[in-house]
Amino acid sequence: MITMTYWIILIIIAITILITIIYYNRFAVLGNRIDNSLAQIDVQLRKRADLVPNLVSSIKGYMKHEKTIITKVTEARKVLLGAKNIQDKVKAGNQLQSALKSIFALAENYPQLKANENFLQLQQELSAIEDKVAYSRQFYNDSILSFNDLCRTFPGSMFAAIFSKKSREYLKIPAESRAVPKISFD
Amino acid sequence: MKSISFHDQISRNKRKSIFLIFVILLVLILLSYVIGLIYPDYFFIILILGIIISLSYILTSYYNSDKIALASVNAKPASYEKHRQIHNIVEGICLASGLPKPKIYILEDKQINAFATGRDPKHSVICLTTGAIEKLDKQELEGVIGHELSHISNYDIRFMTLVTVMVGMIAIISQIFLRSLWFSGNRNRNKSNAIIMIIGIVLAILAPLVVTIVQMTISRKREYVADASSVKFIRSPTGLIRALKKIKQEHEPMKVSGAVSPLFISDPLKKKLSGLFQTHPPINKRIEVLERM
Repeated sequence: MITMTYWIILIIIAITILITIIYYNRFAVLGNRIDNSLAQIDVQLRKRADLVPNLVSSIKGYMKHEKTIITKVTEARKVLLGAKNIQDKVKAGNQLQSALKSIFALAENYPQLKANENFLQLQQELSAIEDKVAYSRQFYNDSILSFNDLCRTFPGSMFAAIFSKKSREYLKIPAESRAVPKISFD
Repeated sequence: MKSISFHDQISRNKRKSIFLIFVILLVLILLSYVIGLIYPDYFFIILILGIIISLSYILTSYYNSDKIALASVNAKPASYEKHRQIHNIVEGICLASGLPKPKIYILEDKQINAFATGRDPKHSVICLTTGAIEKLDKQELEGVIGHELSHISNYDIRFMTLVTVMVGMIAIISQIFLRSLWFSGNRNRNKSNAIIMIIGIVLAILAPLVVTIVQMTISRKREYVADASSVKFIRSPTGLIRALKKIKQEHEPMKVSGAVSPLFISDPLKKKLSGLFQTHPPINKRIEVLERM
């Protein structure tokens, strides 16, 4: 009888240890996935920033009268490269994106520019990067979702308390970029 | 669709794959055992040889399945310069799904079609026809590529590879069995041998049929799951719906072997027979399911 209870206790301890290990690893894997997807967003934003000087040099000759928009792009790039945390980076990235959009819209008025092979390639590449930024943000938020699901549902919530893991924040689109741009008549 | 069901699908595929490897191994060893019984003098030699051959057969086909599939349809790698858009789309959806980028191949054919193969996401290949690249716009290509990448992320590719290996194996075995009857028909005619022979013949006739039906039913269920995960990656079913509608309007069959046809996004042979022998669910049904998402 005593050996029986002894065995039962032993088995319970073993199962508890096993489950703890499984949950510990689960948290580690999902946490790593979040960090990794965050790095991916960063990579794409940097790639976009790296293409800007090429774009500026290719359009300079054609768009002589569009100084303001060109400076806006270079400024946005500087802000992006100087940004410290991911929220700021994404925000700067959005600003850069909208500045690039107005450049491509203006390019419609320059038929010679639109025939430039180099410019077209940069335009294609930048729009592909825009997609990739969106996709990597989506994966980041998906990773946060699975992490938070694990933190908030039982028995994950119990282990989250033990390992002191807290559910994480989603990457929000900054408020100003969602607002409708103001049109000014001056 | 909740993410948990995709996890289930992945572990189910991995479990089934291991199970299938054991079944293949068992069948091959059993076969060498039966052949050994027919030739008792060489029993152990045949058995040992059989085990060695089966193991090397499984290992080579498991590690080279992608190359075999690509060679059998005569696909060429897609250059980064010429097919930049395809590379960009694949890279984007890989970012959305957290998958490593697969190798991209192009297959010269007018029909809109695509397939994925390999043994795991790190060793995976996705192949598009030139027809798909020419006739589909960016959004439609995203839907199709998303579908193929879901096959990769769900480990469908590994399972389907093993199924194809098993089908090939059983076809070879049944051929050997039927042919060996011509040679040894007269020499070993005693009772026990006759029974073994009869079992052999029945198995040889039935096995390929059973395997084909099994192969087709499993691949049909997978297509729906892959459609759903494609929508999960792209966050919109529109592209895939439009691509399927375009595929529906085509009638010309592709010149590929039936063995690789379950790998494709839509049945390349365009078989009209419905029911058990279809490798893919009807396109109309798939469009209907997608439109409800």
